[in-house]
Amino acid sequence: METVLAVNNLKVSLKNQAPLVKNISLSIKKGKVLGIIGESGSGKTLTCKAIMQILNKRSFTVSGQILLHNTDLLKMSEKQVRTVIGKDISMIMQNPMTAFDPMMKIGRHITDTLRAHTSLTRKQAHKVGQNQLKKMNLIRVSDIMNSYPHQLSGGMLQRVMIAISLMLKPSIIIADEATTALDVKNQAIILTEFQRIRSSGVGLLVVTHDFGVIAKIADDVLVMKDGEVVESGTVYKIFHNPQEVYTKELLQARFLVDEVDHALSKESI
Amino acid sequence: MFRYIRNRLLGLIVVLLGVTILTFVFSNISSVDPAEAYALRHILNPTPNQIAAIRTEMGMDLPLYRQYINWIGGCLQGDLGTSLITKNPVSADIAHKMPATLKVVMMAFFWVVIFTLPVSILAAVYKDSIFDNIAKFITIVGISIPNFWLGFILLVAFAVNIPLFKVVGYGDFKSLILPSLTIAIPISSMSIRLFRATILSNMNQDFVIYAQARGIPKARIIWGHVVKNSLPPMITVFCQYLGYMIAGSAIVESVFSWPGIGSHLVSAIVGRDLPTINGCVLVIAVIFTLLNLLADLLNIVINPKMLNERGEI
Repeated sequence: METVLAVNNLKVSLKNQAPLVKNISLSIKKGKVLGIIGESGSGKTLTCKAIMQILNKRSFTVSGQILLHNTDLLKMSEKQVRTVIGKDISMIMQNPMTAFDPMMKIGRHITDTLRAHTSLTRKQAHKVGQNQLKKMNLIRVSDIMNSYPHQLSGGMLQRVMIAISLMLKPSIIIADEATTALDVKNQAIILTEFQRIRSSGVGLLVVTHDFGVIAKIADDVLVMKDGEVVESGTVYKIFHNPQEVYTKELLQARFLVDEVDHALSKESI
Repeated sequence: MFRYIRNRLLGLIVVLLGVTILTFVFSNISSVDPAEAYALRHILNPTPNQIAAIRTEMGMDLPLYRQYINWIGGCLQGDLGTSLITKNPVSADIAHKMPATLKVVMMAFFWVVIFTLPVSILAAVYKDSIFDNIAKFITIVGISIPNFWLGFILLVAFAVNIPLFKVVGYGDFKSLILPSLTIAIPISSMSIRLFRATILSNMNQDFVIYAQARGIPKARIIWGHVVKNSLPPMITVFCQYLGYMIAGSAIVESVFSWPGIGSHLVSAIVGRDLPTINGCVLVIAVIFTLLNLLADLLNIVINPKMLNERGEI
């Protein structure tokens, strides 16, 4: 199957300092989901930002290869990169409540994104945006378009963000802790959306520290620690036959949480 | 919204009561007797009896709270009392002096905005560049320079050595330039540093990263997201600076012999002209608080989230 995104030997470092992320290699095929898991500070988000080319170039150095359809993003000019980022490769951010500009209406976020990559007029973009929101099973879309971010709930904003990420028909979507800030019900809705995205043939890179999310949607898993990949393989292999001590620890920590949850729920009855 | 404005106006009355009570008390603590000062100014060798008569006539033999109540009662009817120096109604004197101050302050405010916006935006966008460093140096110098010294230096440079402007002059547009620059330079220096810092902190916000991830052009991110979100605090400080400039125009007005409210207030203080002092303080306090209210209302208009945060809908 066609490989959409391939990253080879990615290295990210602060200027003149030891690398924060080193030797990351990964590849995502069409319609497949790659999960990256690891504790806070393991370099997951930095990896995502490096792939999206949104790290501040004055403070970070990125080296290696980031191949999108066999074109190296790191060799492109800033202008070329901007035509790819947000269009062919889009991102869903961790905290929907802060990712939208508090002084800008949702509709403007949507039309701005469309107009940055197409030659649509504002009116046309508005229409496209509304249809896109409808596809996400959102209701009263014209109200949503006219709302400021603080007037919508986190789950709603996250679905708007997914709608924006799908709007320009990307071949890959990066979701950085997209479910972390949400309650269980909204998490389930978002994960269902991810399943749908996947079956539509878009590659998905899901970054999380939650094994539950990985178990539900990922095909392959990368375990990261201290800026390096410590283990990788299929979901089945990672869950049933983890090789590394660190992976086992992570899994155990997860079960520990489950047990505590279980005990607590018993107590409350 | 209307409830919000009404509540703010009620709060404004409380502030004004506080300010006027304080000026009343403080000017009464002072050891100089206004009646005596008045008598000395108008009568050659006044006798104690004459001074006492003047005191009774001016109502200054009454206890302080009675004086205050009388004065407030007058204020409510638009009567701020009669000046002890000019013998005109205080309100007429203020109305006569205010336009000169407003002219120079508005001009200074214009400079502040013209200097602050482009310099701070460029300095923030090109952080640590040569431009940023030069701006940093100049603004530190600008903050450190005292107003009156800067005024004299500008006079020596541009009115004496290079006679572009007149040393003493009031009236035409040209005469506004040096005094307004003297007021504007220190204030611009402060606001440039503040605005630059605000812009820089907004550049690291999540919504900027998300805008980059959506492929929004850089110029659009700077103007549409970063600068726009940096405006609310700037509107607040700009309106406060406007108040400071009106209240603090005295020094610059005396350097440039400018017949405004600041120099009027200073001569009233020197001459123990209590009604004028109280009247000027009241007017300046009203302007100050109204400007603050204006800033908050502007902020609510451009950022609807603020009304919610204040718990008022």
